[in-house]
Amino acid sequence: MVELHLAKPHDIHPEDFQGTQMNTPNKLLVRELNFYYGKFHALKNINLGIPSKKVTAFIGPSGCGKSTLLRTFNRMYQLYPGQRAEGEILLDGRNILDKKEDLNLLRAKVGMVFQKPTPFPMSIYDNIAFGVKLYERLSKSEMDDRVEWALKKAALWNEVKDKLDQNGTSLSGGQQQRLCIARGIAVKPEVLLLDEPCSALDPISTARIEELVHELKHDYTIVIVTHNMQQAARVSDYTAYMYLGELIEMGDTDTMFTKPTRKETEDYITGKFG
Amino acid sequence: MNRKNTLYLRRRFVNGFNLTLSMVTVAFALFFLGWILLTLIEHGFGDISLATFTQMTPPPGSEGGLLNAIVGSLLMVAVATLIGTPVGILAGTYLAEFGKTGWLAPGTRFINDILLSGPSIVIGLFVYELVVHRVGHFSGWAGAIALSLIVIPVVVRTSENMLLLVPNSLREAAAALGAPQWKVVMFVSYRAAKAGIITGILLAVARIFGETAPLLFTALNNQFWNTDMNAPMASLAVIIFQFAMSPYEDWHHLAWAGALLITLLVLGLNILARALFRRDVTHG
Ligand SMILES: Nc1ncnc2c1ncn2[C@@H]1O[C@H](COP(=O)(O)OP(=O)(O)OP(=O)(O)O)[C@@H](O)[C@H]1O
Ligand SMILES: [Mg+2]
Repeated sequence: MVELHLAKPHDIHPEDFQGTQMNTPNKLLVRELNFYYGKFHALKNINLGIPSKKVTAFIGPSGCGKSTLLRTFNRMYQLYPGQRAEGEILLDGRNILDKKEDLNLLRAKVGMVFQKPTPFPMSIYDNIAFGVKLYERLSKSEMDDRVEWALKKAALWNEVKDKLDQNGTSLSGGQQQRLCIARGIAVKPEVLLLDEPCSALDPISTARIEELVHELKHDYTIVIVTHNMQQAARVSDYTAYMYLGELIEMGDTDTMFTKPTRKETEDYITGKFG
Repeated sequence: MNRKNTLYLRRRFVNGFNLTLSMVTVAFALFFLGWILLTLIEHGFGDISLATFTQMTPPPGSEGGLLNAIVGSLLMVAVATLIGTPVGILAGTYLAEFGKTGWLAPGTRFINDILLSGPSIVIGLFVYELVVHRVGHFSGWAGAIALSLIVIPVVVRTSENMLLLVPNSLREAAAALGAPQWKVVMFVSYRAAKAGIITGILLAVARIFGETAPLLFTALNNQFWNTDMNAPMASLAVIIFQFAMSPYEDWHHLAWAGALLITLLVLGLNILARALFRRDVTHG
């Protein structure tokens, strides 16, 4: 355990990912990121790259900072005074932590789906149209097409096509979560952040969402937080293991799950710890 | 678990004691409420007739109704609500959604709490100084302004509380799509808090319908038909006050009729508010 605290993952350089582990360029590049909840230092000097059009999974015990890291990618933390990030996060080479970056445009580019379903108190149709209307001017028929497209992508179309004007909150939990995913992809973001999207879902809905993630990675860069090792192994191309606010190890998922470089990662994955 | 356990017995006793106590207090409150309602119906019901709604308030000793008072009340309450509601909702929105840092929000909240519990006669005097004294005469406008000062703190408080009940996750979800904050508030927070905010407005309306003190020094009274807000204006509450205090028998009857009318109105508004809120809560 003492060893864990002393573990210094800083010898991971984002540059390395590009060349050795990943043959795709990085969509997001995190450099020396530190995050604070008031005085609490929640992320400690994180360096990592999120490869473009791949699925990257964040794993690690509860409270290690996975959600915190995810929420720096769209600066969600900025809704709350007292939370702040230091360092650099480059999205296609531009530092999104720069105060000058337009926050809303950033969030339109980096979508997010939360652990608990969050349907808006409006119709299913409007739930999806809401985000689209923010940045695009579509005719009624174009909007209809977009709503159908998004709902089909999220494998929800067949269940709701006859009740698009019903309130989004009237759906079941699993349907609500797929609605939220549909809403997230309808605005065609470049990056999609999923924070434990399946934790409230039954196995069938979970399988559907995993399929969806598989399909979506052709167009989007996806980051998924999960507590489920099998899920991480199934859906992700790359996996990052975090512990106590530090990034312990990141690599391609097969390697991480078969022969991780660090003992801590192996212990966590095999369930000896965590 | 041992059922004879003293801890368990003690808990059972405390539970029974508290339950009895709260039931007694409920019965006590309901008893007086029922008594008031019964008395009102007993006295007022026979005094309500078609004339109540079609004729003006009479001079002592002749026949008449409450039409000018009803219309005056409706007008002033409507204007007060039109002034008070937007101000109240906007201020409540600032408190709940925007004023996260700095002194303005806590300061406003503090002052609003004082206004909320301040005696309404003080508001009447304040508007007397501010409007009636300057303009030189009593008027419906002055009455409406005084009433709106009672609406505002109620609406501020309920709007803020209802908006605070909207889970932050909903705001985050909207912000995550790239919605600027004002759109998050307009399209998500307001929608989610709609029933609660409307309930607050209805309760405020119900409250000012029965307010007498703020109107005594502002709108005063008017025996005649009047829809000119610039002139003194009758209202149910002030008429009840005036007629009930008078020595004339037929004025007493009209006062009872007015009292019953106001009570039914307030009761109706309360039931409406409750039904609205309940429907929204059960239907998500
Ligand atoms: N709003 C907050 N204010 C203060 N501290 C916080 C806040 N949110 C999270 N933390 C702390 O930051 C650390 C990281 O939290 P985070 O939510 O990122 O963990 P996580 O890895 O997502 O955990 P889980 O798997 O349980 O979701 C934890 O120690 C937590 O207590
Ligand atoms: Mg989390």
